[in-house]
Amino acid sequence: MATVQVSEAEKVYILHGIRDDLRVDGRGCEDYRHMEIETDVVSNTDGSAKVTLGDTAVLVGVKADIGKPRPKVPNEGYVEFFVDCSANATPEFEGRGGEELGTELSNTLYKVFNNKHSVDLKSLCISAGEHCWVLYVDVLLLQCDGNLYDAISVAIKAALFNTKIPRVHISADEEGGKEIELSDDPYDCVRLNVENVPCIVTLCKVGHRHVVDATLQEKACSVASLIISVTHKGTITCTRKVGGGSLDPESIFEMTEAGKRVGKALHAPLMKLLQQEESLGKARQKVGFLG
Amino acid sequence: MSPMKLCVPGDKLCSTEDCIPGTGIYLRHGCIYSSLTGYVLKKNEGEELPVISVVRETETQLLPDVGAIVTCKVTSINPRFAKVHILYVGSTPLKDRFRGTIRKEDVRATEKDKVETYKSFRPGDIVLAKVISLGDVQSNYLLTTAENELGVVVAHSEAGAQMVPISWCEMQCPQTHSKEFRKVARVQPEFLQA
Amino acid sequence: MPDCFPHAVTFPFLCTTMPTDTKRVRGPEVSQSPTLFLCKHVAVLPSHGRRADGRQRDQVDVRPVFVRCGLVSQAKGSAYIEAGNTKLMCCVYGPREMERKDETDMKCGKLTTDMRFAPFSCLERGSWIQGSQDKDLSLMLHESLQPAVCLHKYPRSQIEVNVMVLENSGSVLAHAVTCASLALADAGIEMYDLVLGCSIRQNGASYVVDPSYMEENSCSSVSSENQGGLTVAFLPSLNQISGLQSDGEMNEETLTAGVRTCIEGCYKLYPVIQQALTKAVRRAAPPPSES
Repeated sequence: MATVQVSEAEKVYILHGIRDDLRVDGRGCEDYRHMEIETDVVSNTDGSAKVTLGDTAVLVGVKADIGKPRPKVPNEGYVEFFVDCSANATPEFEGRGGEELGTELSNTLYKVFNNKHSVDLKSLCISAGEHCWVLYVDVLLLQCDGNLYDAISVAIKAALFNTKIPRVHISADEEGGKEIELSDDPYDCVRLNVENVPCIVTLCKVGHRHVVDATLQEKACSVASLIISVTHKGTITCTRKVGGGSLDPESIFEMTEAGKRVGKALHAPLMKLLQQEESLGKARQKVGFLG
Repeated sequence: MSPMKLCVPGDKLCSTEDCIPGTGIYLRHGCIYSSLTGYVLKKNEGEELPVISVVRETETQLLPDVGAIVTCKVTSINPRFAKVHILYVGSTPLKDRFRGTIRKEDVRATEKDKVETYKSFRPGDIVLAKVISLGDVQSNYLLTTAENELGVVVAHSEAGAQMVPISWCEMQCPQTHSKEFRKVARVQPEFLQA
Repeated sequence: MPDCFPHAVTFPFLCTTMPTDTKRVRGPEVSQSPTLFLCKHVAVLPSHGRRADGRQRDQVDVRPVFVRCGLVSQAKGSAYIEAGNTKLMCCVYGPREMERKDETDMKCGKLTTDMRFAPFSCLERGSWIQGSQDKDLSLMLHESLQPAVCLHKYPRSQIEVNVMVLENSGSVLAHAVTCASLALADAGIEMYDLVLGCSIRQNGASYVVDPSYMEENSCSSVSSENQGGLTVAFLPSLNQISGLQSDGEMNEETLTAGVRTCIEGCYKLYPVIQQALTKAVRRAAPPPSES
């Protein structure tokens, strides 16, 4: 991952600041940086969103394909995640450099969505055992400035909110075979219920305290962080310790509590914002990638 | 005598006030903890407090450290340096291969500018050397033979016989009596038995 | 194989003379495990009463483990662990010279971990190629072990940890962590502490410690709240958590209680591991003379 070099003096400055609940950019320990969300940014996708969090920029595209259901769960569709760390974000990702981080991120995403409620997979089924929708969620990192997990999860939620799956009709022919017919009307589509899609909160342990949405400088002062994905109800769908250090059990409990609080509070304004943007319809001013 | 105490990594051994830390241990909050699995050994070395260390049957994995005397085998030479494989650190054999470099300037202590690597080492020679630096990211361990006791200890002539040192810079083949140039080590007598 | 290509170009007639059997009915390109064709895909295990292997539910009832150090003569250190039918072995090589020169760190060594499943280890045959799940487990193993190893004692070298799962009967990651730390200690790598792993499976209001493969992959018919798995890697002497991973859906209280249960489970393993290590030392050599 993109890293910065931080001198000892800078480290002490950051550590002492966080001890007194003062961060270098003036935020409190549980505050996010400025976040911008725009949905429907790529026309060739079924749903897309771009999220910038500080200087971190993430673009998510959702494509719906028709596939065969997994033999174990014939009446459900499935979601595939792929995270691409392009060399645009940092030259370290050139060649195969970003592969490791990409697998780490996408594996975590699978875990975050590995439960029955995040996405209603049954609604993705077209005909049990034969056809289902496969949602390919492709994440592209455009800029790295710390806290990739949180930005990616918000972008995925926004992109899934924006996803419009075309309606299909199944007609049986005389011989009992089934045929799939795609609706001609581009506006005849199904929307996903994203209410239960969780958001990831990364808590960085810096000194004796923890901070939300750490910048690269703050991350350099921390030995370990905890990733928590929280739904709007406060249910935790995934936790994971990342980084080379270890954590005290007590601080893990404190961080879980803080993560749940912060994550839960994230959902309502996000949904409101997404609905607001949606209601603007065509009158919405597009910002695009350079905004 | 009670059987010697065994410990595993993370075991608290004693306070720093009771013992002087030796090897195989680490300090945390004023206490001495074991960092190895092995026997707890307390040794009195004339100080007020005994030295505490954790020892294993085989020497713990030694890495070539600055100042360590290493035994190595020359693998290739060129006009600027000789490349070697480090085989032993002190008297402990290394399990894995570590590479080192003896630069031309580090072959001997005097007349450094007149050193020719071809007249100092040949591939296959066994050399005693001292680690002067761990090197940097690009280079290997840097070694030196700039001491009387350091240099070639075993070398074979072109005829294949093991040569005998005749001076600090020459060795002779016992079969053909031809002389070859080497940076010869004056091996300390106490090591000769081994 | 690149050298096949020019042959195909120079002698195209070779392809046409190849005998092809058009009469034979070919099997499907991709074979499938017969277990997929079971009528009941996911076993529903009872959520009360004794567990299938007779252990207690809702109690820290770990499977008895068998551990042994030093079975691979070529490795610097090795260990084998068996808990129920979960069997895995681990080998440690190094410290040796860094394979990739550009990654050499002058200050501290590098720990590399690799965890693989034998193709026959699971119910369904796996592939020899490391999948993304194996990569994820390798990463988790790395993050769990790294805080315990005194890497600053091994400048510019790398320590390799290889774990092979011979038989997967649940809680693989937890036992892999324990086994790897045993192998590291057996190799004489300096460590701050041993690392022990334990996992639980939450199923509604009840939980099972050290779940078996069936318990891990079962889904209960009762409430879907609080369903999930949790794995903790713990440093018993330092009282630190070096690895934490959970998925599924859990509320904060359940998660916190689960972490505490896992820690308790680790303490149950501790004496067994200590004994195995001291036994290995005693077997290798008599105590040195005290002079």
